[in-house]
Amino acid sequence: MKAIERIIAAAAFAAAFCFAGAAQTYKLKAPIADRPALLTSAGQSADVEMVKVLMNRIKVPYTMNAQIKAGEFKASGAKSIVVAIGGSSKGLGAAGVSSDVELARIKAVIAEAKKAGCRIIGLHIGGEARRGQLSDVFIRDIVPLCDYVIVVSEGNKDGLITQLCQKANIPLDSVDKISAVSGPLAKAFK
Amino acid sequence: MKRVLLLVTSLVLCLSFAAAQSLPADLYTRGAAGKKGVVATAKPDSAQVGIDILKKGGNAVDAAVAIGFAQGVLEPNANGLGGGGFMIIKLANMKQAVVIDFREVAPAAATADMYKFGPDGKMLGAIKPDGSTFAYGATYVGGLASGVPGDVAGLLYALEHYGSRKLSRAQVMQPAIDWCMKVPVTANLAGSIKDNYDRFKLFPAAEKLYLKDGLPYEVGDVIQNPDLQRTLKIIQAKGAKGFYEGEIAQKIAAEIQAEGGIITVEDLKNYKVQERKPATGTYRGYTILSTPPASSGGTHVVELLNIMENYDLAALGPNTTKALHYWAEAMKLVYADRAKYMADTAFVKVPVQGLTSKEYAKERLALISDDKILTMPPEGDPWKYDSGNTTSFSVMDSQGNMVACTKSINYFFGSGVIIPGTGIVMNNHMDDFVPKPGSANSIEPGKRPLSSMSPTLVLDSKGRSFMTLGAAGGMRIITAVAQVISNVIDQKMPIEDAISAPRITAWPGDIYAEGRIPAMSVDGLTKMGHKVQIQDLYYPSQGVCQGCVYDWNTRTLYGGGDPRRDGQAKAY
Repeated sequence: MKAIERIIAAAAFAAAFCFAGAAQTYKLKAPIADRPALLTSAGQSADVEMVKVLMNRIKVPYTMNAQIKAGEFKASGAKSIVVAIGGSSKGLGAAGVSSDVELARIKAVIAEAKKAGCRIIGLHIGGEARRGQLSDVFIRDIVPLCDYVIVVSEGNKDGLITQLCQKANIPLDSVDKISAVSGPLAKAFK
Repeated sequence: MKRVLLLVTSLVLCLSFAAAQSLPADLYTRGAAGKKGVVATAKPDSAQVGIDILKKGGNAVDAAVAIGFAQGVLEPNANGLGGGGFMIIKLANMKQAVVIDFREVAPAAATADMYKFGPDGKMLGAIKPDGSTFAYGATYVGGLASGVPGDVAGLLYALEHYGSRKLSRAQVMQPAIDWCMKVPVTANLAGSIKDNYDRFKLFPAAEKLYLKDGLPYEVGDVIQNPDLQRTLKIIQAKGAKGFYEGEIAQKIAAEIQAEGGIITVEDLKNYKVQERKPATGTYRGYTILSTPPASSGGTHVVELLNIMENYDLAALGPNTTKALHYWAEAMKLVYADRAKYMADTAFVKVPVQGLTSKEYAKERLALISDDKILTMPPEGDPWKYDSGNTTSFSVMDSQGNMVACTKSINYFFGSGVIIPGTGIVMNNHMDDFVPKPGSANSIEPGKRPLSSMSPTLVLDSKGRSFMTLGAAGGMRIITAVAQVISNVIDQKMPIEDAISAPRITAWPGDIYAEGRIPAMSVDGLTKMGHKVQIQDLYYPSQGVCQGCVYDWNTRTLYGGGDPRRDGQAKAY
């Protein structure tokens, strides 16, 4: 093979790798989360309210506290966490916290839950509109802490969430619409 | 060497793949060309409405009014019957252009100190009759955020006074009525609905209309708005009185007051459109006709162009370090003037003549250094955080008739209040006032809040219709319109390219640059001392322009739709 052909082949392989990396998902094979759940937010976007609708639809008992702090998890009685991942400057402003404080909060809560043997289900359902610098901060830090992630595909066009899940060996389900999240979310619970 | 080539190729491919994810849909099909008529609007469907009206024998105003009503249905997050705006018209048989000012006004019971603040300085929420308050500031959410809407009065005034009279109000409004039951949810609208999900949950009428079983409508869905259809039919039958008096007016007043506001049926009945002369200027031999106060837009578009006219922008090239530096410095000065002087001229004396004069531009120019950046006084700019998620559209035909219109309900989905049974989304344009006494733009009863809307017409050196354009995007409207004009006149870009080209905006502090601004230029600006914030490749809030141009040499009309949102031009 001539040198230039090798280069072209390698470039094509690299492109294929990029495509493949973006498309591949590891699906959840069996339920992982115990009931009841705690529903909270990572980033204070309105997505947590949408997840609340989904939780009602799948009839999994839960309590919701978008701003729960470390130390409060045990008292909640929850046996798993569902976290709506998405940053909102409006939401953070309303909560009176900076993104750093919010990130520290949710990380501490997840750590406490994991210590208690609880599973973490991460959802990113805001779509492309919810992606941006602020949201990506939460996505990069919180997705790797999850035991299972469900994403609305439009919000994962660049494959970031796929890459994060692959790297941490986290099962990931991708759906096309928010309303379709119910299916995999319900199946995640024992 | 081979390894380097391999790595570079791989990197380029991967980056291309990544970059491709951020590009707007239909990027290369937003423009249009034709011989008889052209429209450019923020939605493909409303563009088609405009073309259909022109084909039926309507003039540019008929088309603009039809688009205006249709746009309110198709882009309900950005404009509608509950809002207001400005339209500039120059028909071929008119010696002078006119501006139709249908901006909202403060209700009669409004006062300069009507908004209250907590000990932390944050604005408090409006208080409802039951004593409960909103968690959001009163100029943002709830009944107290709304000015008396002018949308219906303005559109029908334009039709009555400048329409062709070949088409009736019924014919002009019918397309909007038809679209009410099949509003397509685009990515743009879906994103806006998601972003406002928390506010929809505050108002049952909003929840009912814009959520599907409690979740946001998503791309590909269709929204039906039978209440809005009924409201439009009432207006179609009764004219402006159908909105400003009777059942609709009573419903508006009742709901606004139920949500903590002060608009009354008398306020609605007393709403008046103002017809004004445009703010005018020249730029390299072209005549600029734009929107005067109560919009700051036109005056400052002219001022900005007056300053920039002193630079050889063609030689500097688009988006080079030097060109961007001069634009940024000029923008800072223009915004400083806006903050100091601008208000509703019915209440405040505004030096429009001075601000639009070449002499004043020379004074401002003298403050701009070739190699140092301006450090502005640290005075607060209360309008820095204005929203103005607006819509704009342009119409031109081969006779030289031109209309540009920009209208809005301010923030996407306005105040969140939807009048039950009517489909009307109320504006929150009271947010465009300075909410405390002591400013030129403080609140007074009947006063129009300062706007940045800048629907603009450009005549060529022979006084012929050359360009119409306008933009959405709050204060960034001013800088967007000026840059597009320069792109066409200085850089000789076709209108679609001129609109699509990356833009900046700057006010004291930072330069906000779209991601496609050349990296070398960003580096150059940074080395000069500018702080440059990089935004999306096609930033949906960087001023979203729709415009048309007439090439008299080829007798061809061109339209450009902005890919930053759903902009589309159509022609025939």
